[in-house]
Amino acid sequence: MTQQDTLISPAPTTGFSPWAEPDREPLVQFRNVTKRFGSFVAVDNVSLNIYQREFFALLGPSGCGKTTLMRMLAGFETPTSGEIIVDGKNIVDVAPDKRPINMMFQSYALFPHMSVEQNVAFGLHRAGGAAKSEIADRTQRMLKLVQLDAFAKRKPGQLSGGQKQRVALARALARSPKILLLDEPLAALDKKLREQTQFELMNIQEELGLTFLIVTHDQQEAMTVSSRIGVMRAGQLQQIGTPGEVYEYPQTGFVADFIGDTSLFDIEVQGREGDYTLAKWKGADSPVYLRSVDDSPVSEAAKVFSVRPEKVTVSREKPTGEPNVFAGKVVDIAYSGSQSVYHVELAPGVVIKALDTNRLRLVSSTITWNDQVWVSWRARSGVVLGS
Amino acid sequence: MMSAVRGLTRRLPILIPFFWLLVFFLTPFFIVLQISFAEFQYGQPPYVPNFRKVEGVGDFFNQLQMMTLYSYEILLSDNLYWKAFLSSLRIAAVATFFALLIGYPLAYAMSRAPRSWQPILLMAVILPFWTSYLIRIYAWKAILQKNGFLNNVLMELSVITEPLTLLSTPFAVYLGIIYTYLPFMVLPVYSSLEKIDPSYNEAARDLGASGLTAFWRVTVPLSLPGVIAGCFLVFIPAMGEWVIPDLLGGSGTLMIGKQLATELFNNNDWPVAAAVAVCMIMVLIVPIVIFQRAQESDQRRRQEEG
Repeated sequence: MTQQDTLISPAPTTGFSPWAEPDREPLVQFRNVTKRFGSFVAVDNVSLNIYQREFFALLGPSGCGKTTLMRMLAGFETPTSGEIIVDGKNIVDVAPDKRPINMMFQSYALFPHMSVEQNVAFGLHRAGGAAKSEIADRTQRMLKLVQLDAFAKRKPGQLSGGQKQRVALARALARSPKILLLDEPLAALDKKLREQTQFELMNIQEELGLTFLIVTHDQQEAMTVSSRIGVMRAGQLQQIGTPGEVYEYPQTGFVADFIGDTSLFDIEVQGREGDYTLAKWKGADSPVYLRSVDDSPVSEAAKVFSVRPEKVTVSREKPTGEPNVFAGKVVDIAYSGSQSVYHVELAPGVVIKALDTNRLRLVSSTITWNDQVWVSWRARSGVVLGS
Repeated sequence: MMSAVRGLTRRLPILIPFFWLLVFFLTPFFIVLQISFAEFQYGQPPYVPNFRKVEGVGDFFNQLQMMTLYSYEILLSDNLYWKAFLSSLRIAAVATFFALLIGYPLAYAMSRAPRSWQPILLMAVILPFWTSYLIRIYAWKAILQKNGFLNNVLMELSVITEPLTLLSTPFAVYLGIIYTYLPFMVLPVYSSLEKIDPSYNEAARDLGASGLTAFWRVTVPLSLPGVIAGCFLVFIPAMGEWVIPDLLGGSGTLMIGKQLATELFNNNDWPVAAAVAVCMIMVLIVPIVIFQRAQESDQRRRQEEG
């Protein structure tokens, strides 16, 4: 599976879509939740349902309120207004230690004065009623789950970043929470380990049948692990959808731009020509051809047009058969091994990005800087947005 | 030659404190040590000088023979000194305990105060140091005496009918020591509490611990380095305290620092005073070494974590 595949295909949990079933009771419901810190609105009237066994990702840039939303579910912050329902009960006034929720902290927050084993057993001792041998058994099982049984007696200070992350996971899972919260769980790991851990997290989630809520600013991570993504900006949920929906059908320019790569253009709808809607833009004198997926006319209110680089073809010869063919000059090439992204200037200041997979092993590409090229894309490949 | 110079410049940061220690600690210590082995005499100085000029090896041994353990024999034979040592230990230990009892909640409240308040609170703890310690002890004398501030207020409020005897009691000595050394407890405890990542406490709560359990199981153990530092910073100087028992305590308050001052100023017996000082250092070296060890292991742990 290449990285590109994971970006385009919906998460591997195809077929699992409780959010589409109208009778399904959500496990977690945020109802008009607002959180203010003084005059700053961290979370602005957010309503969100999360269903059992979901791996839900809250995605957004730093300061967008995603962490505050999660901390309200954990019980570390109290909403200024609104309700948080878990399993049919409003938990807003329930103390964090009384909630059926556990959290894996971004800093891991492993107790430095306790061994790995003691860290994992900490929550089990608090549960009460469990015999010592039961606790020891469960601790062992959790450590086996994260393959750290050999490190039980070590102190957190003697572990690597990846090992600490596993201990934090084992500790949070030990109490079998109804919901596991993961706050930027992989941010401290290097890229290779992060990708590997993403799959491990997914496997563990599936194996234990738990509900996971992950907070991340890494869109690739959100796309890979989650069943659905909630994209946040400035305290508001901009869009909720499966990774595929959010990527292919972004509802705002922010979502289109934040998730994946895209080229955005201001447009002005002019009229129709057959199945196509024509729009004036700055890229060329000739209009850009738009077509919605269901062939319905594109709304007059469309202001922005977005097209992903992988949907744009770049070539030396003028292609035929596509309505959207424009001439331009290569101003930049971002080579990343498996692929190259060409930045093509169509008109002064108007640049479109076109992705080309490097199928052939070439030391130098046939298209290079300052080349006059043609870019083209299918009319349905673009997405129009209100703003 | 060049490498020798480079080696010297590289060691300079170590050599400077080393010389400092040599000049301002070891030299005075050896002078005191030498006096403690000298014989008392009436005159100036009030002891028979030894090791003034050494002329040859024979003279060295000659001078060595002039040294006497007489002062130490006095310390051992008169149980006044033993009692003063034990009494000092007890007073220092009790004062340290109460300083911790008062200082920990203070430091905890400071570390929990809003960030913008913390420099002000810190300043409030340090502020008393801007006034001479002697003046502050004299102020306590004025507060505690028979017709002093405290008795007057209590009389006005009709809490008491007769003025209480507060001054020249063990209570006044404890009060003085705890008051004086409280900042030495508060500051290191605060500094270690303030360094604790709040997410440790949150993690404990998240894992089902009540606020109190989280405090005992997580906050207290993590603040232990500060507690140890604070305890030693109070205990060590309290052990040798002289001014406070002298001004606030009565004649019944036995402390080794006070005893030393009596030998030096009243009896003019420098060798015995020096012997007391040497014994005091020997007794204090044990907690100082423990303290150093604790600091080092704490530093190592921090490095491991970092």
